[in-house]
Amino acid sequence: MVGFLKILSSLALGFVASVASADSIDIQILGPWVQAAPPNVKVLAAYLEIKNNGEKPQLLVNVSSPAFDQVGIHRSVMHGNMAHMEHLRELAIPPHASVTLKPGGLHFMLMDAKKPLHVGDSVPMTLTFKNGGKVAVTATVRAGQMEDMGDHQHMDHSEHMNHNH
Amino acid sequence: MKRQSLLLTKRSLAVLLFIALSVTAFIGWKLSNDPVIKAPAEIEDYLFWQAKELTDFKLTGADNKTLGLNELKGKWSFIFFGYTHCPDVCPLTLMVLGQAFKILEKNPAVFPEIQGIFVSVDPKRDTPESLKEYVSYFNDRFIGVTGSTADLDDFSRQMSAMYTVHPKEAGQSDDTYLVTHNSTVFLVDPQGRLHGRFPPPQTPKEVAEVFMKIRMFYNERSNKQWWVF
Repeated sequence: MVGFLKILSSLALGFVASVASADSIDIQILGPWVQAAPPNVKVLAAYLEIKNNGEKPQLLVNVSSPAFDQVGIHRSVMHGNMAHMEHLRELAIPPHASVTLKPGGLHFMLMDAKKPLHVGDSVPMTLTFKNGGKVAVTATVRAGQMEDMGDHQHMDHSEHMNHNH
Repeated sequence: MKRQSLLLTKRSLAVLLFIALSVTAFIGWKLSNDPVIKAPAEIEDYLFWQAKELTDFKLTGADNKTLGLNELKGKWSFIFFGYTHCPDVCPLTLMVLGQAFKILEKNPAVFPEIQGIFVSVDPKRDTPESLKEYVSYFNDRFIGVTGSTADLDDFSRQMSAMYTVHPKEAGQSDDTYLVTHNSTVFLVDPQGRLHGRFPPPQTPKEVAEVFMKIRMFYNERSNKQWWVF
């Protein structure tokens, strides 16, 4: 059973949840989106919430997307007003906890877009965890707001999510 | 006779001195008591203690257009330093600034008074032409500029907006290095002085409302000083 993934995807207005079986990797993805940027931009950022419903800590070690050459796990850090980016090798999600990627903080850095992306486009991504578990995610391109930096990253669709698992 | 004239001179000197002191005291009192002279509390945090005079600088925009101190004079300039390979903070800040401009541009008096300038501190990857396309996505009047390292260093130092271009990480391609930059939106007044700043995280409403108060305060103060002196 290890490595086996049962993915329940619920597509509700650009919202994708991926739930894996409990004995492999019990990870749920909430509200994935990609920050819209000018069409000539090669580097974009993706945000989402990674929820670990399992008993064991999970380590995200790789992210890939067919729409980009490379994807990195990055963190924007503010020292005073100075914005600085750090590259993370892995991202730990403790048991029964979630880690939120949001503007001004953690994000997936999508590098070298294969074609320009516009608002409303879908970006498929695969998250690979250290135990071999993989989670498929589809993020939607949309214009971000500074409010996205706040703590409420759930949108109206979060209710639908709860019915699906 | 000699003694008397000396006395007269002394007395007239004393009178003159008294008048001079009174006038000085009055102006001082007028300045310190005038509520218009002191910045309102709600914009105080956005203003520099004293507007800072800038010296001429040289940056380049699309179509080889030069941006220097002259291009800042006569307008309020909102200036942001960043780079286009910055996917997180830069597009978000420019989007906020674009939305703030949308609010401000509804006011026909304000529309011609404001300009938005994006300074790329990454001239290796950002050309003036690519910057034009980049900034126009956020507001079609925004100006994108960059320059030589020396020119960028000079201007960012004047604006207290330091930046660092980091060497690429091991195993990364030549094009994927990172840049640390200041994510404040700086405000230069129509006299070409660094006047205020909007520290992160900004919101469109905050930038628009605070700017209108800064502008009103600036205009009132300009009129007042004219009247006092």
